[in-house]
Amino acid sequence: MTSEATAHSHETEHHAPPAQVDADIIAHELIATTTNASKRFKTIAWVLGIFGIIGIIALVLKFLDQGSDSTKWGYVAALVSFLLSITGGAPMVAMAPVMAKANWVRPVTRIASIFSFAGVVTIGMLIPLVAMLPPLVTEGARRRTIWMEAPDYSPHIWSTLGLVLLFITGIMLFYSAAIPDFAAMRNHSTGWRQRLGKRLARGWVGTDSQWRTLRMRIGMFGTFYFLILVFVNFLITSDFGQSMVPGWRDAIYPMYHTVSSFQAGVAGIVIALWAARRQMNLQKYVHMDAFWSLGRLLFALTLLWVYFFYSSFIVFWYGRSANDIATLNLLVKGPMIYAFIAGMVLIWFVPWWILIWNKVRRGVNGMTIGAVIILIGLLLDRIRTFVPAWSVPPERIHEKWLTVIPETVYPSLLDVLIMIGGISLAAVIVMLMTRVVPVLSVWQVQEFNLLAKPIRYVRGHATLVAKPD
Amino acid sequence: MQQRRELDQSYTNRKLLNGQLDTPKWWAPTVTGLGILVVIGLIVIATMINKGLGVTGLGRPVFWGLFITTFVFWVGISHAGIMISAILRLTQAEWRRPVTRAAELLTVFSLLTALVFPLIHAGRPWRIAYWITPYDISRGIYPNIRSPLIMDPVAISTYLTGSTLFLYIALLPDLGNLRDRTTGWQNAMYTVLSLGWRGNPRQWKMQTVGGILLSALMLPIFVSVHSIVSWDFAIAPAVEGWHSTIFAPYFVIGAVHSGVSAVVTMMALMRWLWKWDDFIRPEHFDALARLLIVVATGWLAFTFLELIFAVYGQDAPELALREMQMFQWPWNLLFIIFLLTGYFIPVPMWLFKRVRTNIALMFWTSILVNVGMWLERFLIIVPGLARRTPFVYTWEAYRPSAVEWTIFIWSFCWVTFLMLLFSRFFPLVPLFEQKESQVFTEDVTIGRAKVPAIVREAD
Repeated sequence: MTSEATAHSHETEHHAPPAQVDADIIAHELIATTTNASKRFKTIAWVLGIFGIIGIIALVLKFLDQGSDSTKWGYVAALVSFLLSITGGAPMVAMAPVMAKANWVRPVTRIASIFSFAGVVTIGMLIPLVAMLPPLVTEGARRRTIWMEAPDYSPHIWSTLGLVLLFITGIMLFYSAAIPDFAAMRNHSTGWRQRLGKRLARGWVGTDSQWRTLRMRIGMFGTFYFLILVFVNFLITSDFGQSMVPGWRDAIYPMYHTVSSFQAGVAGIVIALWAARRQMNLQKYVHMDAFWSLGRLLFALTLLWVYFFYSSFIVFWYGRSANDIATLNLLVKGPMIYAFIAGMVLIWFVPWWILIWNKVRRGVNGMTIGAVIILIGLLLDRIRTFVPAWSVPPERIHEKWLTVIPETVYPSLLDVLIMIGGISLAAVIVMLMTRVVPVLSVWQVQEFNLLAKPIRYVRGHATLVAKPD
Repeated sequence: MQQRRELDQSYTNRKLLNGQLDTPKWWAPTVTGLGILVVIGLIVIATMINKGLGVTGLGRPVFWGLFITTFVFWVGISHAGIMISAILRLTQAEWRRPVTRAAELLTVFSLLTALVFPLIHAGRPWRIAYWITPYDISRGIYPNIRSPLIMDPVAISTYLTGSTLFLYIALLPDLGNLRDRTTGWQNAMYTVLSLGWRGNPRQWKMQTVGGILLSALMLPIFVSVHSIVSWDFAIAPAVEGWHSTIFAPYFVIGAVHSGVSAVVTMMALMRWLWKWDDFIRPEHFDALARLLIVVATGWLAFTFLELIFAVYGQDAPELALREMQMFQWPWNLLFIIFLLTGYFIPVPMWLFKRVRTNIALMFWTSILVNVGMWLERFLIIVPGLARRTPFVYTWEAYRPSAVEWTIFIWSFCWVTFLMLLFSRFFPLVPLFEQKESQVFTEDVTIGRAKVPAIVREAD
């Protein structure tokens, strides 16, 4: 076996950090990824873009055709919730380990924060839903919502504002962390990228004070983003989910949604990282340690998801009040039983069984398969909750609890096109953003190399990780 | 964060074994005093069992009062051990090392104490046996195994067994150390308990693997215990304020909040009493306070959700209960104290590093948290039962009696007594963890700065 092959086998076995790379080489190589788009990348981007445009057209057609029947909008609501989960959850997933000073997360942060840009699709899809949302008071009767004494159109206004604020904060979080990279683009690239870098770097030269401010901003926007994310999840799940169903009172549901949002975020990052690693030949920078750590996080979140689900389910199941039984009949039984079972299998059972193995978490492909399965399961879970919720006719929304379980709404062609289009549009936005800024943060990768060194330790191998304050 | 401090091994041994090899002067009088209080408490418990529950303030319709509140409180405190020891071990948080033993101990002793309360609350404790085992086979009466009231003792017993094992495995290297430094009956005791520990590579490997496996196995039990305790309440739609889906995670996060705060209290006491300034340092309090800020804020979010979804339903009885809980005397006072002490006083203080590294302030704020967390449990359990409702033919206000308060105080004396007794025979800070931390930390120079670094073994 050659020495190179030995070194490689050692690296995969112990997923030690790669050999030290010079900071300038890192900058050159990562900035080069913005210009070297492969033919396959372009083809995929075009196809997704076309699907996205078809989705937008389908959404407009649906609004013109079914703009007066809210019961038909459950699939769009499920899509909004699904997109919010991925695009909202991913940046947070990257921020949390940064705050905990985890070194492995450094190569992941950029790709995670890019997901914020796809939040624009969530906002776009929310617009018709806001128009469909029944007012708080109809003919003098006030329906049950979290807006107990608030003005009539409070959920419409505050949910939209919340989502917009989340989007803006996500962009600010992205920008704050990207300033040194814009400076690197200013110094190392040409053409419009150089001009963009110069404008957005805002005179960055890397003084001590600039670095201090940068870290402070990341911490501040990260904390703010987390708070808004939890709040937006609370608003969307309450206004566009629970309060559409009379008698559905589930205090854990917003947190359940938030936890699954983190789960979707990690799954999204794993898939994006896999694609970036493969397409842009970034094996040198995206090494096993990131997948290994994301795998552990995904595994923990998968268990947390099932815990939150069960905590809610058991209270309804044992409670057996009229409310409880009606809620279970709507959300778990009936035709939704299949979505429920498929969701349980795909979100929890299969990923749990896959991710429990160290070998899988150490690999790239197994992790990616697990992440894809989780995202499919989460989409089904969103359909299971939002489609039945929106299927309740507005005239019944004031009842004390659901006395008649409404007919299940099956997806129309327009619904299918909107869902494919929405997801494609979000994906293509993430892909296009990798043409504007390096997919991995240059300064984070440089810092990663600076702070982690492979060392010989007693008779084995170890990593020395520096933890600056 | 982890500030390296060079401590040689003989110094570590001498200082950390001072409880066992050189018992401090305050130890004997303190333990004697606590012992007397414990005996008084036991006499009160015996009297209550003899006279019946009439000596307590319990009566229609409030049958779950101070005892059940204190039971939930101690189960909550027990979450400290696994939170600190297992989760931080699995996430390789370096600062956990001096904290783990105290946290694990707190788990074991608080669980032992918690178990006493449902027993004595039954009035005739021996009848518990009928309740959790078949009552009368010939009449076909069996306990309902689907009930959380049955799942509860099972979960707690499993947790207690696992935690004891966890504590014991981590204690083995230190027991070997003590065996080599003692004579006479103590040597004989440590020889038996150390199970032939020699510290060879195989034993270390087994001990490490055992610790990691137990950590992973204990985590689901840790979550399940307080979840099941919460379901004692949550699956009962008849009592307003109890039937909420959020109870399980709300109880668990509240338990972590109170448990970790109790660890802070205990660490401050250990530092002061045994003069372990070199081992339990301000940086450890800083790390625990940062953790507490996150946990407490999560807990506040759950509290908010619990409250908002209680009134969300707009059901008249639930609204009346919440009005009573928040706005009527004396519940309103308790409610305000609960919010202030549970979150709004300690957490804003912890935002400042000066507070986080001030041990006296950390001690007092951690005590405040547990005052708030006890009140939280009281406010969850009692008002729902105490609110006057139609069709109740007798109704009395609940006021805990002197007997209940004495038993409540006894529980604190009992846990402290057990802790001090333990400290006489076993080290409260794990020696081997302390020494390992010396080996696993290093200072590296990056640019002009000297940065603390940690050695991470390849997985």
